[in-house]
Amino acid sequence: MTELVETEPVLRTENLTKRFGGLTAVDNLSLNLPRGRLQAIIGPNGAGKTTFFNLVSGLLGSDGGRVFFLGREITGLKPHEISRLGIKRTLQIKSVFNQLTVAENLWVTRQAGNRFLHPFRAASRDLETKARVDQTIEQIGMTALAHRPAGTLSYGDVAMLEIGMALISEPRLLLLDEPTCGMSPAETERAVAKIRELARSIDIVIIEHDMEVVFGMADDITVMAQGTVLATGSPKEIASDERVREAYLGRPEDEDYVEEAVHA
Amino acid sequence: MSGRIIIERCVLLAFAAFMLTVPWSVPALVNTFWVSVIAEILIWSLFAASVNLLFGYVGLLSFGQALFFGFGMYGVGIGIDQLHLSFWPAFGLGIFAAMLMALVSGIFAVRLTWHYFAIITVVFSLIFYFLAVTMKPLTGGDDGINFTLPPTFSFGGTQWSFTNATFQYFFILATVTLCFYLMHLVIRSPLGKAFLAIRDNDVRASLIGLNVYLLRLTAFVMAGFLAGVAGALFAFFGRYASASYMFYHVSGEAVVWAIVGGAGTLFGPIVGTSLFIIIRELVSTHWEHHSLIVGVMAIVVVILAPKGLVGLWRDGLDRLVTRDDSKAAAAKLPADSKLRTDP
Repeated sequence: MTELVETEPVLRTENLTKRFGGLTAVDNLSLNLPRGRLQAIIGPNGAGKTTFFNLVSGLLGSDGGRVFFLGREITGLKPHEISRLGIKRTLQIKSVFNQLTVAENLWVTRQAGNRFLHPFRAASRDLETKARVDQTIEQIGMTALAHRPAGTLSYGDVAMLEIGMALISEPRLLLLDEPTCGMSPAETERAVAKIRELARSIDIVIIEHDMEVVFGMADDITVMAQGTVLATGSPKEIASDERVREAYLGRPEDEDYVEEAVHA
Repeated sequence: MSGRIIIERCVLLAFAAFMLTVPWSVPALVNTFWVSVIAEILIWSLFAASVNLLFGYVGLLSFGQALFFGFGMYGVGIGIDQLHLSFWPAFGLGIFAAMLMALVSGIFAVRLTWHYFAIITVVFSLIFYFLAVTMKPLTGGDDGINFTLPPTFSFGGTQWSFTNATFQYFFILATVTLCFYLMHLVIRSPLGKAFLAIRDNDVRASLIGLNVYLLRLTAFVMAGFLAGVAGALFAFFGRYASASYMFYHVSGEAVVWAIVGGAGTLFGPIVGTSLFIIIRELVSTHWEHHSLIVGVMAIVVVILAPKGLVGLWRDGLDRLVTRDDSKAAAAKLPADSKLRTDP
């Protein structure tokens, strides 16, 4: 079973489990995320959301269970192998190549999937990749910053660069771990618009804490608590789900938020 | 093109011109002894470049590069002394032995990073150092192997060999230049960019699809090649091979040269190596504790110039060039700004 089947769910897990010592971070998780919908995963801190991403992207090995991407089992594959199948992700703490420039970050991301990296030909002579890099820089609106080392960028710009890196690698599935965390309202708006635009052509799963963002853009929401799925459904269903309200949204200050978002 | 790059090109050109005239200009200015010191500096610079490739471009700090230097040396020494090879096959054997050893030890070493990596490289070089010391019949132990050099080229009746000091110098210069040119090509290539990505952030590198393990292993074998060529050249240069050059002291010196010169810059190792070997040659005849100077300088540079002497030079030039620009701008200011400073 090496073929990727387009009719299969983009991501499916069977009894996925991960333990850290005595703590079960992901507990017998069976998920089924169909294609073509912007999926959000929410849940209180420690619900196992990021651990779930780490298991899917291969950064962690699981203690049991299986993961399927478009029908192909990817359990136990290395991060770069999973990445080459078309699953790309961002990390919760913004993570780019700090000493490389914005253009170089995109350049190396574009080339990373190649099995052969030429050892002697000058990288600058690869005009096709250069054109693609220039195009992506324009798309994310960072033309003025193209030759700045990524380590000197503002937080919001690093986040945009991460989205650019996701874009240029042409993923089939994009896992975004709190993409708007730490952003100013204006930056959040810019990032949300970009993610919505991306979701038209790419399957996206997003972990997010900002309820306004989640309820405003997700097609489906999966609520996780203590390593398992608490509820799945449309934003409306989730907002009115009693168990979810109790476990997660029950605090009064959040309630207004949810109602506002649903009625918006 | 920025002002800094123009100045750097000029310096490089002057440096190249000097290197090409060393066999004549240096004996005229100082004495012939310094020609062989400069040849030695070239060889050790190449060795420091192998540390630099790993540390400056891939982020792996190896304290075991002397192992591959030693294998380069012994490839040549054993090849000539016991297998009776001529010059080029012995040269090839030295480089091949170094790369093979780098591949074998790299398979284990590059699974680790940082201090674990540094420790395992030391352990590997210590194991083979002690093996070389004990296997006296093959390696000559601490005494080493002395051999007579076969000619490098022979056309009919005429022969060129290392017994001709000028030929020896130019052969070393050409080989070292070629290796630095190869490294320059690698750094600018797609492979080189992938190395830099791994140096900056290995987790991210694996998430964008780079095979971090395989790329680190590739770099490790490439560094083994550089160290192996340096070791083989040094064997030809000294007409002998010895286990003492496989000791980790030798590796450590190359780390200091590369870092003081400027890790992550192509010419850093040349600057660092030249500086320390020149100091050693000048001071060691007058004062036996010359390594004290080396130690103090290394500490000062690491604290004050984290990017090494080449980094310091670049920052200085950048500042100079921009200050010239702002001076020019200041000159255009109206004269009344001057009045304010008058009492």
